[in-house]
Amino acid sequence: MNTEVADRESDEAAVLEEIGALLKDPQYEGNPLRPFLQRLYQLHRRQSDRLLRLVRISDGYHGMARHNSDTLAARIEREVMRLKKIARISDLYQRQLRELADALRDASLTDPLTGLRNRRYLTDRLREEGVRAQRTRTPLCIAIVDVDHFKEVNDRYGHDIGDVVLCNVARALEGVLREYDTVGRWGGEEFLVLLPDTTLENGFKIGERIRARIAELRIEDSERPELRAISLTASMGMTVLREDEDVFDAVGRADTALRTAKHAGRNCCHTA
Amino acid sequence: MNERLHIPQTRSTPEISADWDAGVVSMSGDSYPENSFEFFTSTIDWIKQYLKQEQRPLRLELRLIYLNTSSVKAMMDIFEMLEEAHRRGRDVSVDWLYDPENERVQMLAEEFREDCSFPFNITAEAKQA
Repeated sequence: MNTEVADRESDEAAVLEEIGALLKDPQYEGNPLRPFLQRLYQLHRRQSDRLLRLVRISDGYHGMARHNSDTLAARIEREVMRLKKIARISDLYQRQLRELADALRDASLTDPLTGLRNRRYLTDRLREEGVRAQRTRTPLCIAIVDVDHFKEVNDRYGHDIGDVVLCNVARALEGVLREYDTVGRWGGEEFLVLLPDTTLENGFKIGERIRARIAELRIEDSERPELRAISLTASMGMTVLREDEDVFDAVGRADTALRTAKHAGRNCCHTA
Repeated sequence: MNERLHIPQTRSTPEISADWDAGVVSMSGDSYPENSFEFFTSTIDWIKQYLKQEQRPLRLELRLIYLNTSSVKAMMDIFEMLEEAHRRGRDVSVDWLYDPENERVQMLAEEFREDCSFPFNITAEAKQA
């Protein structure tokens, strides 16, 4: 292909050279066709110059367009990379916020000392479980557990030890309860226990297990062996949600039962 | 040229101060201004002017915690200015300091650093008492 082009071009050059030589040759000076050949020769020269210039300009434009589209593509590519990076970093920040929101919500529903659920959570939970129990007509057992003579522990051993006692009681409660039961710190040394789908009779058995577990609690501290002497008991008031009753009325009844247990000499569970 | 720049911290914008003599720009806090593009304009202009008028080094000291999307973009614009200056042979650097309790910030700073070839240090900083 290329050699063909080269052949044609060299043919053309050869022809032009030949004609040029003929026009210069004095022996054809008088030839009547000479001026016409001369004009044709010049016309061709001009035409091929124009063609050459046209090609050059056209090539120039073509190259420029290609260069432009290359840089444009590169620029778009760079911009896309940039936007991707912004989106990626922004997503990370957003995830960070979501996790923070989750942690804050969790913290707002947790008692910081014992790690149990707090009163705010229990209040929501009571409402939900109350509605569920009424709808499914299953017994919802509610108990309030209060550590006996807790003030004396605080006064005698200090608040640090009081805190340890509360944490130990929290663990004891968790140890006794079933997966679907709920326990939380109701306030001070009071814990609220929710036993869904549990009759008062079965609830009482669980209550007795809780009391037994609390009675077994001992504080082991090699530097303070005297703490081993701390022996705890708990009083408990327990009830079951009645038909069409507001769940917080039932909580009030459990609280009254707890007072009764306290007056009856503590270390016992009263039902109402 | 206003050689000193100080923008006090608000609930949604970081504290920004720029010291022309020291060649240090520091930014700290959260950044989620309502109009990030306007908020960062003065800082970006300051850096631009400094890089144009001075030949001395420029250092960014960052203690940024939360950035919204347009603040992320503004920071990337700033880092690109530094990158360009660095390519021209200027001495520019970033020190990003973070609270060791918040490792997320470290991860994010590393994301920012990805395309930067100038010195970009990410360091845990003990909390001030």
